[in-house]
Amino acid sequence: MRQRHGPLTRAAVVVGTALLVLNGTFPLAWMILTSFKDENELIRIPITYLPTAPTLKNYAQVFQQLPFDRFMLNSAIVSLTSTMVCVLIAALAGYALGRLNMPYRRALLTLIVTTSMFPALVLLVPLYRMFLGMDVPLLSPLVAFLHDLGMSFLPTEVRTPNLLNTYWALIIPYVALSLPIATLILTSFFQLIPRDLESAALVDGCTRVEALFRVIAPVSAPGVVTAAIIIFVNSWNEFILAMNFNTALSMRTVPVGITMYQGEFAFPWATISAAITVGVLPLVALILFFQQKIIAGLTAGGVKG
Amino acid sequence: MAFAPEQTYRSPGFWRRLRSGNLTEAQLGFMLLAPAALVLALVMLWPILQVLWQSLHFERLNLPARGRPFIGLEHYRRMLWGTDMMWDLQHLLGWRLLGLAALVAVVWAGARGFLTRTTAIAGAIVIVLVAGLAMGFHPSPDGRWGDARFWNAFSITLLITVASVVGSFLIGLPLALLANVPSRWRWLVRIALLIPWAMPRVLVGVMFAWLFNSTNGVVNDVLRRLGVEGPLWLARAESAVWATNITIVWATSAFVGLILLAGLQSIDDSLYEAAMVDGASPWQRFWCITLPLLRPSIAVALIFRTLTAIQTYDIPYAMTRGGPGRTLETLGIYVANTTNSLNLGYAAALSVALFGMSLAVTVLYLRWIYADD
Repeated sequence: MRQRHGPLTRAAVVVGTALLVLNGTFPLAWMILTSFKDENELIRIPITYLPTAPTLKNYAQVFQQLPFDRFMLNSAIVSLTSTMVCVLIAALAGYALGRLNMPYRRALLTLIVTTSMFPALVLLVPLYRMFLGMDVPLLSPLVAFLHDLGMSFLPTEVRTPNLLNTYWALIIPYVALSLPIATLILTSFFQLIPRDLESAALVDGCTRVEALFRVIAPVSAPGVVTAAIIIFVNSWNEFILAMNFNTALSMRTVPVGITMYQGEFAFPWATISAAITVGVLPLVALILFFQQKIIAGLTAGGVKG
Repeated sequence: MAFAPEQTYRSPGFWRRLRSGNLTEAQLGFMLLAPAALVLALVMLWPILQVLWQSLHFERLNLPARGRPFIGLEHYRRMLWGTDMMWDLQHLLGWRLLGLAALVAVVWAGARGFLTRTTAIAGAIVIVLVAGLAMGFHPSPDGRWGDARFWNAFSITLLITVASVVGSFLIGLPLALLANVPSRWRWLVRIALLIPWAMPRVLVGVMFAWLFNSTNGVVNDVLRRLGVEGPLWLARAESAVWATNITIVWATSAFVGLILLAGLQSIDDSLYEAAMVDGASPWQRFWCITLPLLRPSIAVALIFRTLTAIQTYDIPYAMTRGGPGRTLETLGIYVANTTNSLNLGYAAALSVALFGMSLAVTVLYLRWIYADD
């Protein structure tokens, strides 16, 4: 056991911990307090810390000024879809890298993790062009050639559809951006499952694929949940791509939408803070329920990476 | 034909194994990896090749008549060198070149062993900070030396990277040490560490813009109560850069803290007991046990922090829209602004510059890690 610390050390630890908690929670708490204040109370000069006349007006404002419910819906659809797709793909890859005897296992894992170091910003221009619609390489020239040969029922070019201002423009990059970290987390979780469990299933006559779905999948649920939460948070928070790909008001996500309440010079802080409070509520709820899992997932990524 | 050669046993091929559901482990493994590989290849690797190719072309979507001609390295020339560069000494011996030369010299001296590593790193940081502060706020209006906006963005990005990485470690390490102390309030500490990590970075920026509001913000209110008149935080570049850095440090030190916390928890308690038996002071214990054993975690956190700092976009955008004016425009904001003005060719060249920076950092760090192990 550790030695007993002196009262001075203990006091320092208590003060430090209090500062830590204050530091982590104060800005958000201040936003929540602000969201209950009246617009006039905000510009009073000795500023008030607690709202003198709490009001819910700002929350109504959030939904009246901009279609915030639509933002929430967009964010939910995009984040949930990309979470599900990404977990599925990452679980398959993680199983292969964590459980199967395959050549170049470590090299492949390193390769996948290295791709997570690519800046997402670099994807902005090429993905923008890609989603704008482009000639499909190989296929398009071939079709044009056949058209020239006389098959006039064929089009002269094959273009991909314009995906900007659709959910796909966000789901596709989000899946790719979270895939490396999710694969890393799931690989390290799959490595922890005892091998005997799977061997028993194989002896009982399961094939590898059946063993994966009937035995391994139920056992690995905690790892999958961890990975899913981290992907969800990443996708919910993503800003750059959402800002530039989906420019129609009805396709904005929550983080982008909240920045639209401020005008060129006007900052309706009461409304903005109410919008932030509503927008981060799902995240705070996730943290409260799953704090241990999230930390386990983050550190699995950190220690192994 | 009892012993015809066809009758000898042949290992079943891939398709037959697939049909019967009895793939070898390696075959199954590669099949399961295929979707991930496909996604990464299509959405990460292909775009990166494409952005390299795109940066060699002229393309403005608002000038469709000009098409997409190949122009070679013209974008890079405009970005780094300028279109009407004049060869006078004043420009060549300008402080930019001097700063760069000093940086190269320090790095070279560090690599050759003339300086100890710590001195070299500290020297490089000081040079970058001074150069960043000196040149960051004065984009030359004539743009004679390259693209003034690019160099401004470059120096701001460097400054933010160095300041926020150092800052997030100075704050993150104490956070991790405190969070590692066993207590009843551990869950609260954990939540306090997770909230800054989970908040969308843009919203962190918006929140802190309100905290740093010069008349009604908390920061200036506290300063006023202490008898100091706070600056107009976000209205002037000199103070806005500090406000931005403080915000970035707040948002990222929690992440550093979480990674270091994991490292701390993996250190064996018996080492501390042994040290205490030998009479080591707490400071010695920290310096000789904690810090060396924490090195892998520090390296991981350092790499991820630096790479995300180079792409800094959300927080400066949310706080000042890269302003006041264009003074706090980071490379990331510049790339996005150029994309929005539909100059895709130049935006691609800027992205390549950004990519080059993060690649250089990754290679440097990896060499540093593997050189010592």
